[in-house]
Amino acid sequence: MQLLKHLLVGLIALSVSHVAMAQLPSVKLENRKGEVINTQSLVDGKTPMIISFWAVTCKPCIRELDAINDAMPDWLDEAAFRVVAISTDDSRFSAQARAWVEGHGWSDFTVLFDKNQEFMRAMNVSYTPQVFVVDKNGKIVYSHTGYTPGCEQELIEKIKSLK
Amino acid sequence: MKKIFVLLVSFATLFTASAQEQSAVESVPATNQQSLVEEEAPKKRRNLGRLTGSFETNSIYYVQDLRTGAIAPDDHFGSNNYLKLDYYNGKFSAGVQMEGYLPVLQGYPTSLTKVGLTNYYAAWTDESFSVTAGTFYDQFGSGLLFRAYEDRTLGMNNALTGARFTYNYKDIVGVKLIWGMPRLGMKFSNTQARGGDVSFSISRLAGWNNLSLAVEGSVLNRYEKISADLKEEGAKPSSIGFSGRINFEHKGFVVRGEYVDAGERHYPNSAYDGVNDPRIDLIKNGNAQILELGYSGHGLGVNVTARRLEYMDMPIEYRNTSTANTMNYIPALTAQYSYLLMNLNPYIVQPSTFFGSHISPGEIGGQVDIYYNVARRTKLGGKRGMKLGLNYSTYYSLLKDRSVKADKILWQSVNFTLEKQITRKFKLNFLYSFQEYNDSHGVNNITWKSHIFVADMLYKFTPTISARLELQYLLSRDDERDWMAALVEVNFAPHWSIFVSDMYNHGSTNTHYYNAGVSFTKARTRVQLGYGRNRAGVVCSGGVCRNIPAYTGANLMITTSF
Repeated sequence: MQLLKHLLVGLIALSVSHVAMAQLPSVKLENRKGEVINTQSLVDGKTPMIISFWAVTCKPCIRELDAINDAMPDWLDEAAFRVVAISTDDSRFSAQARAWVEGHGWSDFTVLFDKNQEFMRAMNVSYTPQVFVVDKNGKIVYSHTGYTPGCEQELIEKIKSLK
Repeated sequence: MKKIFVLLVSFATLFTASAQEQSAVESVPATNQQSLVEEEAPKKRRNLGRLTGSFETNSIYYVQDLRTGAIAPDDHFGSNNYLKLDYYNGKFSAGVQMEGYLPVLQGYPTSLTKVGLTNYYAAWTDESFSVTAGTFYDQFGSGLLFRAYEDRTLGMNNALTGARFTYNYKDIVGVKLIWGMPRLGMKFSNTQARGGDVSFSISRLAGWNNLSLAVEGSVLNRYEKISADLKEEGAKPSSIGFSGRINFEHKGFVVRGEYVDAGERHYPNSAYDGVNDPRIDLIKNGNAQILELGYSGHGLGVNVTARRLEYMDMPIEYRNTSTANTMNYIPALTAQYSYLLMNLNPYIVQPSTFFGSHISPGEIGGQVDIYYNVARRTKLGGKRGMKLGLNYSTYYSLLKDRSVKADKILWQSVNFTLEKQITRKFKLNFLYSFQEYNDSHGVNNITWKSHIFVADMLYKFTPTISARLELQYLLSRDDERDWMAALVEVNFAPHWSIFVSDMYNHGSTNTHYYNAGVSFTKARTRVQLGYGRNRAGVVCSGGVCRNIPAYTGANLMITTSF
């Protein structure tokens, strides 16, 4: 019975949320140098971005980011965009994550570290991988949870539709 | 506390609404009546703010399984449910989390019961400062001194309820002040945590662009009422801990160091026998040191970490045995892979060990990670390049207090990974791992050694249809000896995925641990249904490990966010 109540509340909230436009929340993260970066500063008013939540222990996350990385040169011919990879690794894996980024050749990504999952919570991500497409003004226009090979195609389609 | 929270929410909502109405009127040019009408409509809608949230349910129907000794509870059912709602309006935000355990899944802390409003907060986030009242998560540095976080896979949520204030000056100086009572089970405990954290970026102040240098420091006061007996033995209800840190980065080189003096703590004396050792409790001082060196550049990522822990347990409540009873974060610094056979005996971090007359103050050890991206069109890389990884980690128990002397081996592991896109359609991941595990956690020197081989192959039939095959083998003369495992997964992107797996112990028990499942994903919603047999084991995250009993049954998991 209580479970049903929960579901009901969830559904009501879901319908309400369709009215509102989801905007990128403001959270402080660390960059690869260890400096503090506000997520709001990612919105540049010029290009949209893909925001991907990942972790070194999450195999589908790695597969998704590798697929995006491989497709990136071709995609950039079709539309301008940026990729922001949010490592949700806490202090157990954050140092490994830094080395991982270099060893995986993700040099075109902006990598940020969300060590206590504050940004993850603000974006209501329960499990990785979860990916978002955010337009040039910071509006969230698409999201997908989980990854199976081929899912990445939806990202570029969405970015192209923003033109 | 709840009353204060409700008052704050109503006050802040009123304040935000009136402030925004005012600005809406001010921003409209008074001379143009036409645009006033047109502009007011969207402004009004924006004033409603935005509601977002997530919902998760994880339910299991348990069945009896004589083969593994899995015992189903009387009503065969367990269900963990989470509903999180957040409301944003400009700089104001508020939110709640409701949790329902109907009843709690096997192996989770039994203090998680029924349905309750577990977390609630109201916050004001301005450009340079923020104020939060209610429940919040935070951590100081790496979390060794203090970390409030949530990990649903462990049933862990030690969020603080109280107040937090943060201030940031041009990203040069950052200050955090916290006060609160940590959550334990469905309630907040009576233990109080008060603390502060300061970070100071020397490089930003000096305007250095190619070098980053920062110093950080924290202090945490923990207060819990203690019994008269403990007081008599010299324990104090209040303890103060400190942490000092330094972060340096220049041209890809990273140096990070942390020293923690965690303050006084007391333990029941496991060696007590009333004659030779008459002390009922032991009073100790907790401390830890970490040094991290790293380099990233030219396709090479290297990381070396060394760490020493001495009496670093920081319970919310002394003498409470719940796995969620911790106020800090002491992760096992080892590599982790999600392959089935890689996690039969994970390393369990030892912030201190009390086992009869065996008392060890903690552990000392470290790990090295090397990742290398072999470029395309090189002799080794071939047409599509190759990714290599190497990890080594080892930990020893500490021989005695205030010493760096290692005593017995707790863990050793070497992992080698190779990742190669062989053709456009076929990708191979290969892993070799050697693991040495001390099941007594340092009481004796006996270890279990195993060699694990994994081949993980992905084949893409079409751009959206793919199949993945995992073949695994574990070679060992110890414990349950040899294992083998296989997994087949077929994906129909972007919605469907099905898998079948089996983990078979043919070295000793001849038991199959089979699993099968299907998942459906649409945008932010994922539904997964599975059935299988699961081995008893340990799930670890941070310093927290959850013992999961063997269970067999059907599992339904739904996650969604909006």
